[in-house]
Order: sequence, then structure tokens, then C-alpha cells
Amino acid sequence: KPIYDKKATTTSQLKITHLNLYEGPCTGKTEVYMLCDKVQKDDIEIIFRRESWKANGEFAQTDVHRQIAIVFKTPPYEDQDITEEVEVNLALRRISDQMESEPVTFKYLPRNPDPYEVKRK
Amino acid sequence: NPIYDSKSPNASNLKISRMDKTCGSVLGGDEIFLLCDKVQKDDIEIRFYEEDEDGCWEAFGDFSPTDVHKQYAIVFKTPAYHSTEIERPVTVFLQLRRKKAGDSSDPKQFTYIPQVLDKEEVLRKKQK
Repeated sequence: KPIYDKKATTTSQLKITHLNLYEGPCTGKTEVYMLCDKVQKDDIEIIFRRESWKANGEFAQTDVHRQIAIVFKTPPYEDQDITEEVEVNLALRRISDQMESEPVTFKYLPRNPDPYEVKRK
Repeated sequence: NPIYDSKSPNASNLKISRMDKTCGSVLGGDEIFLLCDKVQKDDIEIRFYEEDEDGCWEAFGDFSPTDVHKQYAIVFKTPAYHSTEIERPVTVFLQLRRKKAGDSSDPKQFTYIPQVLDKEEVLRKKQK
């Protein structure tokens, strides 16, 4: 069994502590603040996943704040015509060794919950 | 002029880098994620204030030491504005301030949005 330096950000466990938002429209581009355990700004990605669909949260290295927070934008969900909320998983992943954090749930909301405007009429 | 050890968290300059919201309800209670330079969780406060010819107002963001994340982020709730009866948005300032030393960061703006009253409520108030 390999011995890891728990303090080194190259091998340490990844952990998402808190998001400011846990849902957003399926069109994506929602700005989310994530608080996390230490990450390296050039060796981290945010993965959204559901079944065979996968996409990355969008951010630049300058959006990683002091190794413990990331401000990113949600990717658009694969299906833009969902009529009900869809729950997906979101995790931190270290690029170099592909280690992942425990996932948290993010909810995509339909663009228009009532596409035929039945309820409004 | 005092000489500070710039590596020590209680002497370094305070700075607000980023906030997820810059406006909220006049009633307060909005949760804000604030990213900042190094702070100590038991020696930091978030001061909302206003200074004009009518006088000064101040109130403090609501958080506990456990809401300070790894010395570089704070999750807090906004205080209520001194008057909840505003008709137009009001912009105030907020800053980080160390409790012991009293030094503070450069301010950021925050805008209080009036309460949206539904029609019934407006009618009820008019009848009073």
C-alpha cells in the first residue's frame, strides 16, 4: 500500500465542502461558488455526470481562489428539452492521477416548466 | 508607522476578492459567499455601513467561526438595513474588519432591494 503525504495537494484527498447553489437551468452558464479542500489550480477539473453524459464545469486558473475555492460556470445539460428536474453528479477530479472527490448532487431545471403554457391560460 | 510581519495573518492586509452576490433583500438574511485574503476565524467581522449627512449606520454580517473556510472564504448572512420601508434600492458598503486591531479592508458595495409587496398587502396598508 502506498504511503501518501496527506498535506501534499498532488496526492491529498479531494473534498467538496459547500456550494452556494445546488441547482440551475439546463441551459448551463450558472455561476457557482464551490468551497473545497486544497486543490492545485493547474491540476483540477469539475466533472458533471449522469449515466453516459459527462461535461466539465468551466473555469480559468484565476477562478481558483487560494486553493480552497473555485468559481465556475455549469455546463449545459445534454437535453435542453427536459420537462422535469434532472439530478446529476458533480465531483472534483485531479487531472494528473484522475482521483475524484465524493460527488454532490446538482439539479438541472427545465427551461420552461410549462412549455405549452397550459397553466397560464 | 508600525512595521508588520506580512506573513502573519493578524498583520497582513485584509482584502475582499470576490462575492457571489452584491445585492439582497432590505430585510437581510441573504447568504453570501465571500472570498478573501487570509483571515483568522475568531478575529474577523463583516461590517456593513453607510455614511451620509444624516449620520452613520452600521450592522454586521452573521456568521460563526465554523463558517470561515480554511482562512480564505466566509459564508455569512446579510444584516437587515436600518429601514425596511425603502422605496428604491439603497447602496451601502461592506468591509472586513479585524476585531482586535480594528483595521479593515477596502470596501465593496452592496445594494439593498426594497421588499416587493403584493397587491393585497398594499391595499391592506392603504386601509390602515
